[in-house]
Amino acid sequence: MNSIQPISAEAPNDSAAVRVDFDRHVRMAERHLRWRRFWRGAVGVFAILLAWQTMSWAFDLEILLPPPLTVLRNVVLTLAVSEPHWLYGPNIYVHLWHSFLRAMAGFGSAALIAIPMGLVLGRVVVLREFVMPPIKGIYPIPGIAWIPLAILWFGLGDAAVIFVVFATTFFPMFFSTEAGARQINPVIIDAGRCFGARGVSLFFRVILPATVPYIITGLRISLGGAWRMIVAGEMLASQDGIGYFLMESRFQFKAVDLMTAMILVAIVGYATETLIVDTIEQRTIEKWEIRPS
Amino acid sequence: MNRRALLAAPALLSIARPARAADRIKIGMLKPNIVTVIYWIAVKTGAFQKQGLEVIENPFPSGQTAAGIEQLMRGGLDFYLGASGEVAHADSRYVEAGKPPPIALIEGGIAGGSFFVMREDLKGKSLDDLRGQTLRIGISNPSSFHLILLRSFLRERGLTTDDLKWRFMTIGGPEMLPAMVSHQLDGFLHDALTTTLALRANVGFVFMSSDRGDMGPRAKLLPGTGVCANRAFVKANPDVARRFTRALRDASAAYAAAPRSEMVAIMSEWSRQDPAVIDAMYERFDPRVGLTRESAQTWWDILGAAMLARGEITPKLALTDVFDLDFLKQGA
Repeated sequence: MNSIQPISAEAPNDSAAVRVDFDRHVRMAERHLRWRRFWRGAVGVFAILLAWQTMSWAFDLEILLPPPLTVLRNVVLTLAVSEPHWLYGPNIYVHLWHSFLRAMAGFGSAALIAIPMGLVLGRVVVLREFVMPPIKGIYPIPGIAWIPLAILWFGLGDAAVIFVVFATTFFPMFFSTEAGARQINPVIIDAGRCFGARGVSLFFRVILPATVPYIITGLRISLGGAWRMIVAGEMLASQDGIGYFLMESRFQFKAVDLMTAMILVAIVGYATETLIVDTIEQRTIEKWEIRPS
Repeated sequence: MNRRALLAAPALLSIARPARAADRIKIGMLKPNIVTVIYWIAVKTGAFQKQGLEVIENPFPSGQTAAGIEQLMRGGLDFYLGASGEVAHADSRYVEAGKPPPIALIEGGIAGGSFFVMREDLKGKSLDDLRGQTLRIGISNPSSFHLILLRSFLRERGLTTDDLKWRFMTIGGPEMLPAMVSHQLDGFLHDALTTTLALRANVGFVFMSSDRGDMGPRAKLLPGTGVCANRAFVKANPDVARRFTRALRDASAAYAAAPRSEMVAIMSEWSRQDPAVIDAMYERFDPRVGLTRESAQTWWDILGAAMLARGEITPKLALTDVFDLDFLKQGA
């Protein structure tokens, strides 16, 4: 039979030491997880690049499908503003800046209307019953279908592009917010009331924090939509911006510039999502101690 | 009687013998668009049929020349009507990569018909007066033949479009007039039809015209209509390609010989415009083809040089990469 060993004075029986040990273990596990995710992701990206390079080379597609190294070199040259034959008007930063401004104008104005509207309609049944049918009727119209009408209403220029971005980004934000506000557990509302929350205080202390995860999801989906639509809008109704760069490179039959434009849209789209949505998410989590969605 | 019947027998037999099946060709063209009307004249006058060709029509909307050229490069089309500058762009990419050019211009219009229309209140102003003003000028696409021609004209004066400080706005030909009327455009660079519509609506005046010699003495020789072909198809079917160009030239001859009213009706049908508009445009536009080697050289000297100066095409690109001279007529 094993006898019970006496606990030595040096053994880490102290709860603080156990906690330190546990924290170290958790950190190591997290680091291991991050590393595993990183290398798996890197392998995935590398496999795609390899397949791309192989296809381009094996099928003699350098003109229609420029190899990744050529595209990467072109991205660097474009960002360094040292492309020897730049055919697209102002430099790439001007194009990106104009696209960014248009995207943010459409996305921001949609957020300013869609989020409050979603919150109100999510909580006020009477209004919801009046307003939802027309909104649901307009929702299936694709953003690109608004372009001819936008040109007719606002002319060729920024306003038309901003409008189509608005028309595209409004709905995901609205529906997501509305669903979030509608589906709040009544127990939470009652609990808030028990603690004396009424009217505005109930809204800011209970309804809004409970809806934030849904609002963040709506913002994230909409921001991706904003970048997709900015490209389409600028291709048809603008004389600068990343969509215009993409369109003109098509007319020059420069697939490498087309792919460069696409990569830049991806980079800027990712960066804006990280900067805007992640920041909002972080702030709201800190403010209301909400678990991220 | 019997002898007559005997003599007539071979003739009757030859009539009864089934005709050789027509060669089927896939043709792409801008539609509705006046610069490609020679195709419709060929259809209506039976020129393709006479050459034993059955055509499969693949229309592309105005301003979508790049889409047609892409189809031609991929072999989805055998011939394409409407482009010239885009042929050089596309071939240049291949020559840059050390590959043979996939498409070539094999025929073209005999007259340019490039017009620069400005809004009425700018009448009397010169290019120097308008330089530096924030004007919005409509173009059908960024590689528009008319824009390249303007660039060439400016280049001869040591200027570029950037020096003008104008905004060149991409807009389809049919939308140019509404855009002028609603003051979204101050002018446009386009063809004879859009120009005629603007003049009839009193929204603009002809600021410059290639036919008038405003864009240089040789500009009027430039083909406004480009007829291009997939080189692989031409190599495999040289006879079909010859018959195709012959059909277009027959249509040109038919245009010259036919009464004006007949051609107005055909052009009106193709361009979906009021016959009165086509009639008003008639003197301003010549749809005939018959590109000569000299015109091709002029195209190269003017448009090719402008594209080269801007870096749109590689210095390695030669005239023979863009044009298949075997198909072009000798002599002016």
